[in-house]
Amino acid sequence: MGQHDRYDAIIAGAGHNGLTTACYLARAGLKVLVVEKNDWIGGAAVSRSLHEGWTYSNCSYVCSLLRREIVRDLDLPKFGLQVIPYEGGATFTANGDYFAYHSDHDALRREIARHEPRDVDAYDRFSQTVIRQCRFIRPFLLRSAPDPTSFKINDLQELLYLVKRAHGLGSRELAETLRFWTMSIGDFLDEHFENDLIKAHLAGSGIIGTGLGVYSPGTAYVLLHHYMGDVDGAIGAWGFARGGMGAISKALGDCLEEAGGTIVTGSGVDRFLVEGCKIIGVALDNGDEYRAPIVASNMDVKRTFLEHTDAKDLPEDFTRAVKRFKIRGSSGKLNIALDALPDFPAAPKGANFLRGDLHASESLAELERAYDDWKEGRWSANPYFDMLIPSQIDPTMAPPGKHMMTVFVQYAPYALEKDGVCSGENWTEEAKKAFAETVFDKIEQVCPDIRSKVVHAEIRTPRDIEREVGLTEGNIFQGELTFDQLLFNRPVPGYANYATPIEGMYLVGSSAHPGGGVMAAPGANAAREILKKLGKGAAVAAEAA
Amino acid sequence: MSARFDVIVIGAGHNGLAAAEALAKRGKSVCVVEQSDAVGGMACDRLAHLLYNPAPSGVETREIDTVSLSPEGAHVLIRRGEARFTSGQPHPDAAAYQTLYRRLVRYASLLHQLAEAPPPGLEQGVTSLAGLRELSRLARLGVGVKRLGKAEMREFLRILLTNAYDLLLDEMPDGPLPGALVADAVRGAFAGPRSPGTVLSLMYRLRNGGGVFLPAGGMGAVAGAHAEGARRAGAEVRCGLGVTRVIVEGDKVAGVLLSDGGRLDASAVLSSVGPMQTMRMAGIAEFDIEAVRRARKLRAKGSTAKLNLRLGIVPEFTGLSAAQVKARLLVAPSVAEVERSFNPAKYGDLPKQPVLEMVLTGGTGPSTLSIIAGHVPENGWTTDRRESFTASVVETIERFAPGFGSLVEEADLLTPEDISAMTGAPGGHWHHAEMGLDQMLTTRPTVGMARYRFGVAGLYLCGASAHPGGDVTGAPGRNSAAQVLADGVA
Repeated sequence: MGQHDRYDAIIAGAGHNGLTTACYLARAGLKVLVVEKNDWIGGAAVSRSLHEGWTYSNCSYVCSLLRREIVRDLDLPKFGLQVIPYEGGATFTANGDYFAYHSDHDALRREIARHEPRDVDAYDRFSQTVIRQCRFIRPFLLRSAPDPTSFKINDLQELLYLVKRAHGLGSRELAETLRFWTMSIGDFLDEHFENDLIKAHLAGSGIIGTGLGVYSPGTAYVLLHHYMGDVDGAIGAWGFARGGMGAISKALGDCLEEAGGTIVTGSGVDRFLVEGCKIIGVALDNGDEYRAPIVASNMDVKRTFLEHTDAKDLPEDFTRAVKRFKIRGSSGKLNIALDALPDFPAAPKGANFLRGDLHASESLAELERAYDDWKEGRWSANPYFDMLIPSQIDPTMAPPGKHMMTVFVQYAPYALEKDGVCSGENWTEEAKKAFAETVFDKIEQVCPDIRSKVVHAEIRTPRDIEREVGLTEGNIFQGELTFDQLLFNRPVPGYANYATPIEGMYLVGSSAHPGGGVMAAPGANAAREILKKLGKGAAVAAEAA
Repeated sequence: MSARFDVIVIGAGHNGLAAAEALAKRGKSVCVVEQSDAVGGMACDRLAHLLYNPAPSGVETREIDTVSLSPEGAHVLIRRGEARFTSGQPHPDAAAYQTLYRRLVRYASLLHQLAEAPPPGLEQGVTSLAGLRELSRLARLGVGVKRLGKAEMREFLRILLTNAYDLLLDEMPDGPLPGALVADAVRGAFAGPRSPGTVLSLMYRLRNGGGVFLPAGGMGAVAGAHAEGARRAGAEVRCGLGVTRVIVEGDKVAGVLLSDGGRLDASAVLSSVGPMQTMRMAGIAEFDIEAVRRARKLRAKGSTAKLNLRLGIVPEFTGLSAAQVKARLLVAPSVAEVERSFNPAKYGDLPKQPVLEMVLTGGTGPSTLSIIAGHVPENGWTTDRRESFTASVVETIERFAPGFGSLVEEADLLTPEDISAMTGAPGGHWHHAEMGLDQMLTTRPTVGMARYRFGVAGLYLCGASAHPGGDVTGAPGRNSAAQVLADGVA
């Protein structure tokens, strides 16, 4: 807590990416400090006890994308990380039916046939395509993005790697890949399936956290982004971190401390200190200052450069490009403590799939209309939700016999419209309550007795997420996942490799390649770049098979 | 009645005619067979009115201005990258607009290389002569992109796949000026300005500099000139004759059966209609199942209607001089409005405030206001709906030209359903297939069918569902002819 303590590296923000970078650097022998504005660590991967007896994963809520190479490198299971895959899920219809997404392949085929026999084979074709695309893209997640405008050896090597992999695909598959990357999830699903309910169930992953609609080109990629993780090697599987998502951050934090790193909470960075185009340290809100020749920011690119860096320390075109980077809030969340498991009248008693992800949007048109509402600055009158009750599998989330429910809602705008003006300020307590009522009304379609079982509910709007977590507009990916903002364009063309115009300063959060979700990939890739620069080329998260 | 030709072209639309001319010029005997009594296809006065990327056709064209109408009366006069108010006052965003426009045209000219040839493909591998030729084409494109300079190249790669809404609103406040450009980006497409890929379609439209041209003698003259060109080159054009079947013998095209019972033999057949129709003519059994599935799922949802209003006299628009009324008139008051206008079409509904592109043409009578109106649903056009839509267009125009409604003597509405019936365009879609990123270049109309060869040996697609897509350019026709010649089948 010294005034002018010196470190080898300072990380601003103890989100999971910042902690990951910190761990790698500390293990490579650097003296590392992490500073965090909240009293707790984790950013959006947190477990919060907001109601006595219950634990909420009140931001991110399920785990899949966390790169296993990183989990292995940092020995996270040793520090208590345990991810339990959940099985299945379902979409419920207003008329009392459902489509269950069983994890058992044959059960799934039977269920699809129950709705539409023609879609059974279509599903196999669909999942083969998605898996093929996942396999193609996964190695790129733990590599820096190739820069096609550069002639530097490193960049040419990355480009060559891309070409090699692309060539290995064959021209037909390559064309398919290009198509997949540019299509909308709606069109992609329309091409494969006949049944509306099945399409609606699968389309959700294409819009979670995104300011796009199911028919917007580029959403097939967003679906891919949600499928390219794994749990214990099962690609596309999702799981619960035992103890909530905070367990991930706790494991990272413990790993860091064992490696000799320091974490300081309770005060965030007010200013990144720059002298002659070089970073020299940080000044915190509480007045403390720390010095280091390497500073990494886990905050998103806008917050980092537009709020905590002096404009005079940055080139003008860089600032302009950062202003243009799209970070749009589109999601809300409800975290609910339940007195008992709610009733699901449509589902068979004790159905396994109730332990998975549950939804109630029945058609692509419904999802598209939800998006149209968002465009006008309103939350969706008929929202999409991703609802889970992790306490069915993880007993640590609620007292015995009671439950914890997480409801992620799409869409909710950051700039709420009121009297013709769109602004984050319009999220008053009144508006929040009205938003929650809309969501509860929708949940009631599936669980008619939900309201009677609620003990406590935390309502999170994009504005709340922004204020608490520090994510601009409450966007969970620290920036939209569209092509003008991916790969060599993320966050700003020319600065896609974690370095910034300020020497020694790096960006390590989801604003950097490969983007958001609890992946830890940006953090690890950034650590690799930093260590390479220091000549400490350690193997960071080497590609697993 | 039977006869033998080297090549038969199904459909005397402008693409079919362009293909016929290109092949005949190289000494092939060509017969173009057209179902209706007139040549031109969609290049007719009832359906099209302006040229954006005119092909040399011998028809004189005159470049005209664009006026983007403002509900507040602050109409904007635009000519390519120049913008000012119709009153003569300078527009505050003129400089930003010009910079953006010039940049887009510069990038678009790179794409021009891609349009005027079959799309790049490396199926022959990289070591064959054909493969090397393809590589050098791609290399030339790559060099062209690199020659932009690092900063511009980065910007090109950044905006290539982005959306018109963000591109415009990043540079200037919303209003009729950006509204005009995004309206151009989405006209004829099943997309709104927020849809990614709309900058690419805007660039495709701007690949020749972006001027807007009125053909002397109307679109009919353009069609006539194409037919004249084909005939002069030695091709035969027979109207009033439909093709009932494409004859396939031994996995090769052998000719066509005609609606009058006759048969024409040929070694190559070019089809101007859509993929599914072409497959039906040749027989679905001749095609691989995947190809049939893809053709069936082709995204071709017509979303534009054409309304021709015959007027008693030339209308007066508030705030426009008599000369300015003769410009291309746009009702696209803002980017947000254009997006809003697109939403209902997704659900099969009519727009509350249609986006319009209008121009006064000679037409049939003293004055006809030719209007392209979007976005509309493809189907469900009952009489009530037709009347209601026509009324809403007239009402929209009334806001800018008081008393307009009383000038209308006759209204001729063509919906996507009508256009499909008239021209064989799949879904009544202008471009035959959506110009989306997944249906362009090497994947247009779908994977495996992108270089005009259509499954059966000797069968080719030469219409807008082939690269580079729609608009009255004749490019798909010429490119497919080039492929036929390269393949040496005829």
